[in-house]
Amino acid sequence: MIDIKNVSKWYGNFKVLTDCTTNVAKGEVVVVCGPSGSGKSTLIKCVNALEPIQQGQIIVDGTTVSDPKTNLPKLRARVGMVFQHFELFPHMSITQNLAIGQIKVLGRSKDEAIERGIKLLDRVGLKAHANKFPGELSGGQQQRVAIARALSMDPICMLFDEPTSALDPEMINEVLDVMVELAQEGMTMMVVTHEMGFARKVAHRVVFMDAGQIVEDAKKDDFFGKPRSERAQQFLSKILSH
Amino acid sequence: MLSNFDFSVIPVSLPFIWEGLLYSFKLTITAMCGGIILGTLLALARLSGGPVLSRFAAAYVDTLRSIPLLMVILWFFFLIPLVTGKPMGAENSALITFTLFEAAFYSEIMRAGIQSIPKGQVNAGYAVGMTYWQTMGNVVLPQAFRNMLPVLLTQTIILFQDTSLVYAIGAKDLLKAAENTGKNYNRPVEMYVFSALIYFIICFSLSMLVKRLQKRIAIIR
Amino acid sequence: MNYQWNWSFFLDTAMSSDETYLDWLISGLGWTVAIAISAWIIALVLGSIIGTLRTAPNKLLATLANAWVETFRNVPILVQLFLWFFVFPELLPRELSLWVKQDMPAKEFFTATIALGLFTSARVAEQVRAGIQSLPRGQRNAGLALGFTQAQTYRFVVLPMAFRIIIPPLTSEFMNAFKNSAVAFAIGVMDLTFVSRQIVEESGHVIESLLAATLLYFLCAFLANRIMVFIERRVRVPGFIIAK
Repeated sequence: MIDIKNVSKWYGNFKVLTDCTTNVAKGEVVVVCGPSGSGKSTLIKCVNALEPIQQGQIIVDGTTVSDPKTNLPKLRARVGMVFQHFELFPHMSITQNLAIGQIKVLGRSKDEAIERGIKLLDRVGLKAHANKFPGELSGGQQQRVAIARALSMDPICMLFDEPTSALDPEMINEVLDVMVELAQEGMTMMVVTHEMGFARKVAHRVVFMDAGQIVEDAKKDDFFGKPRSERAQQFLSKILSH
Repeated sequence: MLSNFDFSVIPVSLPFIWEGLLYSFKLTITAMCGGIILGTLLALARLSGGPVLSRFAAAYVDTLRSIPLLMVILWFFFLIPLVTGKPMGAENSALITFTLFEAAFYSEIMRAGIQSIPKGQVNAGYAVGMTYWQTMGNVVLPQAFRNMLPVLLTQTIILFQDTSLVYAIGAKDLLKAAENTGKNYNRPVEMYVFSALIYFIICFSLSMLVKRLQKRIAIIR
Repeated sequence: MNYQWNWSFFLDTAMSSDETYLDWLISGLGWTVAIAISAWIIALVLGSIIGTLRTAPNKLLATLANAWVETFRNVPILVQLFLWFFVFPELLPRELSLWVKQDMPAKEFFTATIALGLFTSARVAEQVRAGIQSLPRGQRNAGLALGFTQAQTYRFVVLPMAFRIIIPPLTSEFMNAFKNSAVAFAIGVMDLTFVSRQIVEESGHVIESLLAATLLYFLCAFLANRIMVFIERRVRVPGFIIAK
């Protein structure tokens, strides 16, 4: 589904990604972790071309992302994304947030879009808040709406960019629960996160990044059992000790 | 002293003043609408146009912002006939001048407004598959416009005051109407005071409105 | 458009006097600079006092200062100029009024300077108030806690920092003083705007005349900007980033 081949990326002279290769198969959940500044957020933004790459190739469902002929809006419409800071549109109500993409991009009718939006809102347990504005919801609630917004486009796969790291601890679980449910339904997911509990529960593979490189790419049990690289061992011991 | 003043000229002058005031409003509203549209396009060109387009927009804005409006009014008033071959009335010349001039100022406001929207919002628009123009039109500009509404209105108050400068080319605005009536009825002093009062009442009420807006608009985030 | 360019006409003698057009331009520039700089000094002094008073604990003083700002901000500069020129003398006692109207030397220049100075003072005051209020409250408390009086707290703690913060907006106000000085032509000061119009009418060389005046205004704005940037660098506080 998502094929990342030998991707390198620079900001000016600074190399942020070095020769990254990995893939996410259909129905697979891949967790990407690593210390901050390791390039994991940058890598996931390259998948739907929010960040351009200078070398290598990314293919999503047969479409080459970095090909200048690729219709990016069309591709992005099929790839759902959830951001660290939710990025709901603050000037629109929750319902409008859920409907805008369906109406403007997929060309659905307003009624159809709202109906589908409300259904998804119900699914993330927030139907009662349909007419509120993002600023009136808690962080956890906003992030659940953001997941519903991504789902409203009927995506073929979902990208999560540190979806819980801007949340207060007591709100993390409500978001993770929604994500676990999605994973169990067989959604293809690429998730950048530090939540190792989530990884243990639903991930198929774990990718560990450090300094712009993919250091380790292993089956979940192998990764948590005995990481091969020293950096991954250090990282795991730090993150699991508390 | 004050005893020499004769304010009985004011009721007589009202029809003329009204006509002048209408032109001042027309000039303000035309330049505001045209200026905001053109200014927004200039801001977009400057922020996301190619190197040529963004440099042109920057040069346009910076040039107009560093010369007096009066000089710009004179430029257009003398140049338009040179280009078109026939004279254009002062009133129409001013409409064009003010729209093009104010665009430079509105452009800087809209640029700040657009830049105040976090990059994540743009990404979120792209991520649901919107194109550049859809993202701008549905996500960025509505927020930028709303955040900047008080500043845009403040600029419009300045613009309304600046319309008095069409005096230089003899267009018949509020100030000119007051001056003409003052001369015709031999009461110039009273008419200047009266016109100042009208400007003050309009600008002061508008600026109070802006203050109330500013308190209300603190955007829900 | 076929336009006959001619730059050498600036050296011709003007029809209505024995000076060349170039002499006119130079003296026009002189009046523009004189008005803008004198008005700026008035504006800076008055604006600083009034802006500070607006944040003062004394309610009456703050209200008066606010009234000052609202008055001078909400009437167009050209109309204010006319009020000073035509209306103000009528309010004076009879003898003084006659002297102002008939014998006062350089009357147009002084009127324009005062009008522009007061107009700009309101805008400077607004910046000074904003600068003071942008400082953390703890700063003022720290001053008072050290045993400073209100006045000393302002003098040693609040104002030195507030002024550094507002240098960028003050820079554009200084440049505005040059641009706004152009209204002085309306009461007959022979500034750059006045002479450029005069040269257009006498010589017919529209583009050259306007271009010359425009470039000179540019030069003024540029130099004003450089002066303020120089000051900003000289007074920079290490470790403190002044927001643009």
